[in-house]
Amino acid sequence: MKKFRLYYEEYNKGPFRLLWKHFTQQHFAFFGFIALLLLLLLAVLTPFLTPHDPYLQNSQLLLVPPSWQNSGLVSYPLGTDDLGRDLMSRLMAGTSYTFGLAILAVLGSLIVGVILGALSGMSKGVKSSVFNHLLDLALTIPSLLLAIVIVAVLGPGLLNTIWAIMLALLPQFVHGVRNAIQQQLKQDYVTAYRLDGASQRQLLLFVIFPNLWEQLVLMFTMALSTAVLDIAALGFLSIGAQSPTAEWGSMISDSLDSIYLAPWTVALPGLMIFITVLAVNLVGDGIRVAIKKRREN
Amino acid sequence: MIFHYLMRRMFLLSFVFVALTIFAFSLGYLFPGDVLSNFTGLRNISPADEIVLRQQLGLDQGYWQQYIYFNQRILDGNWALSFSSQQNVLDEILNVMPATLELASYALLLSLLIGVPFGIIAAVRKDKWLDKLISGFALVGYSIPTFWWALLLIMVFSLTLGWLPTSGRLSVLYEIPRLSGFMLPDILGSDAPYRNEALFDAIRHLLLPSLVLATYPTTVMIRFTRESMLDVLEQNYIKTARAKGLTRLQVLYKHGLRNALLPVTRQVGLQFSTLITLAMITEVIFSWPGIGRWLIDSIYQRNFPAIQGGVLVVSSLVIAVNMFTEILHTLLNPLARK
Repeated sequence: MKKFRLYYEEYNKGPFRLLWKHFTQQHFAFFGFIALLLLLLLAVLTPFLTPHDPYLQNSQLLLVPPSWQNSGLVSYPLGTDDLGRDLMSRLMAGTSYTFGLAILAVLGSLIVGVILGALSGMSKGVKSSVFNHLLDLALTIPSLLLAIVIVAVLGPGLLNTIWAIMLALLPQFVHGVRNAIQQQLKQDYVTAYRLDGASQRQLLLFVIFPNLWEQLVLMFTMALSTAVLDIAALGFLSIGAQSPTAEWGSMISDSLDSIYLAPWTVALPGLMIFITVLAVNLVGDGIRVAIKKRREN
Repeated sequence: MIFHYLMRRMFLLSFVFVALTIFAFSLGYLFPGDVLSNFTGLRNISPADEIVLRQQLGLDQGYWQQYIYFNQRILDGNWALSFSSQQNVLDEILNVMPATLELASYALLLSLLIGVPFGIIAAVRKDKWLDKLISGFALVGYSIPTFWWALLLIMVFSLTLGWLPTSGRLSVLYEIPRLSGFMLPDILGSDAPYRNEALFDAIRHLLLPSLVLATYPTTVMIRFTRESMLDVLEQNYIKTARAKGLTRLQVLYKHGLRNALLPVTRQVGLQFSTLITLAMITEVIFSWPGIGRWLIDSIYQRNFPAIQGGVLVVSSLVIAVNMFTEILHTLLNPLARK
């Protein structure tokens, strides 16, 4: 069933350009990509952008509704919470906790995962098999349970639960990298390099890794949505981020008491989490579709 | 062949359980506080008792000896006492476990009943508006944070409309004797005069939590079934079947479904660990008296023996389910047997 591949143009686009072309053709995915860039910018620049101090309590302005309601104030566009803190500033500050820390956690976990996955993918025999089974064990422990154990040992706090999230993400990275490397090792061009006298290290660095990065980006987006949801869920359960912190999940649990009076204090942080995760998933799906389309054409 | 495979799985299972018990045992040392308290669950131990207990637990001997004693206690059902209630942790877990299993199994059933057919429809109508609609809904459900979704549903259906209760498994008006711990079978098995009313009430209590818990697995099932079906529909044997003159439905049922649903059986096992995590969050929001709420209460109370026991039981459950679906998948799919 192999079709002939015809090249009509003199210059053919590289694989990355092709991927980008297929990606931007999907409007929703591209929209998610822009939303992610904006969120990233917000997470980095948030100390300079917030209109008010996110932790400043103002007893004169408790539970001010958003400015589109009659009793709202223009200087507090999204209203205030039950301690008179500006909700918009808190939501902006929360970007760097829920989204920024999720990125750092996934990056850290990904780096360790690539190293362990490369070690496991390039080795064979009993050592690799024992390692895999240990990973399978780690894979089965639910992430919330792992977080509970780590919090019990180290005490509650945002940073401690980050360790739990990194640990919970690690097995899927190691598995993914290992499978990808073993698939690469079966390719003909890898054999050709080997016949050329390339060592294991050269094979890994110059032949396999350049073919791996798309897979890594895909794994990154999938893990990022899990990480954002986990950080928010742990904050909501007051196991992760503790009360004054402007983390989206803990903001929801703080405002639960005033859910009758001020539903926006619960709805808006949740909406931010939802938008962030949706954007990440749109980008992930977009990349997957783009890779598939490039393979077909 | 199959026997050989099962033997290998059993060997692997025992290896995993040894690793798990070593992990649970080491938690006794890792948790803050006194090691003796962590292993027994006793709070104020008199010096005379301490010597006896140390000997019983083997704390005066090496770690391996202690680990063997630990396993013996686990197997005898002689688990540590909970710090908060001073009852055997195993009894407490067996008390709350059925509620979680009931909730999780209804949610899993719901996700299969809804997710698989919709995934197939989406795959068959690929890139048509129906597929876009289903995939869009699946993506939204896949991205929504469970606890927020639960709060939204409570705001609409309980606070505004007042249709459904927000917490618990059954109204306090009804008293149902506990037989299995599973609410619906217990009600059906009881001979109370208000049996039908109680059943209706229990279903009303069950509706929101199982809907919330089912959302994520359903969307995963839709997405996964769709992908798997699309993969199968591209295969050559589908083209062969079409070329033989089979109708679309025949091809779909005889050649498509059977191959596409094989990976789905495996996905159920892989999703189970996420399901437990989500069940824990759902239980906290709906005050559902299951193991999730019990574990989260334990972490608030620094109840270390309870956490140790909970980790052991929940992980064993997840491992067992994983192993079971893996074996089922292998039995159904000859290609998976190496």
